Amino acid sequence: MRRDVFQAIADPTRREILHLVSAKPLNINSVSVNFKVSRAAIYKHVKILKEAGLVEIKQQGRERYCRARFEKLNEVSDWVEQYRKLWTAKLDSLDKYLKKLQHKPKSENKRKNHGRKK
Amino acid sequence: MAEKNELVITRIFDAPRELVWRAWTEPEHFKKWWGPKNFTAPVSEIDLRVGGKYLSCMHAPDGKEYWSTGIYKEIVKPEKLVYTDSFADEKGNPISPSHYGMSGMPDEMLVTITLEEQDGKTRMTLKHEGMPAGDMSKMAGQGWNESFDKLAESLK
Repeated sequence: MRRDVFQAIADPTRREILHLVSAKPLNINSVSVNFKVSRAAIYKHVKILKEAGLVEIKQQGRERYCRARFEKLNEVSDWVEQYRKLWTAKLDSLDKYLKKLQHKPKSENKRKNHGRKK
Repeated sequence: MAEKNELVITRIFDAPRELVWRAWTEPEHFKKWWGPKNFTAPVSEIDLRVGGKYLSCMHAPDGKEYWSTGIYKEIVKPEKLVYTDSFADEKGNPISPSHYGMSGMPDEMLVTITLEEQDGKTRMTLKHEGMPAGDMSKMAGQGWNESFDKLAESLK
């Protein structure tokens, strides 16, 4: 199952795991000592983070190391950027419409408005 | 500093606050501007009461239609409007953003619009926040923003 980044970071334990491994790569044991839940439970969380592309797991000798993938985390800010563009375009339309409603040509938006209908 | 999960835009409109409010809350006005340049908005249904629904359609120049729906959470005429925002089908059923080919964004968002009078003009602040999807939001509980701050902090 493909998981999206929002589902992955919706869980507080997983956010805490991300926080830990974003400082430096850690093996699963070193991650799990920070939590009260079992190592197996932590491994499940790590797996979900991995499926969302937020961490990668690398085998080094006998240990599996978990590392944060920052580029995927940027997706979280990317949707904000997409919406910024969309809202800006919509608000430009609103601005234009409000001017039209008040019969004001675009170039005269600095003029004081007297006797306008409320 | 939960910048990763919210968007804030401030704009000053050279129009009285009452008019800006009406542009947001009356379908006949709303249809005239909703959408980027060259888009049209053929449908706008607005049930302006707390708990009331809206349904809007944005029609792109290439013929694609983008429907959105949500519920009004707070209405303080003519100062403040809070509503949820989801993608929808033409019947108003919420659907995932991936249906419109958009990924990596929350299924449901919260929009807060505040209007302030300023020298005969209107200062509008628009806040757009992502909410975690479906049952995940229950798991997320209250610590969402706090943890997000921490996450953002750790990414510096």
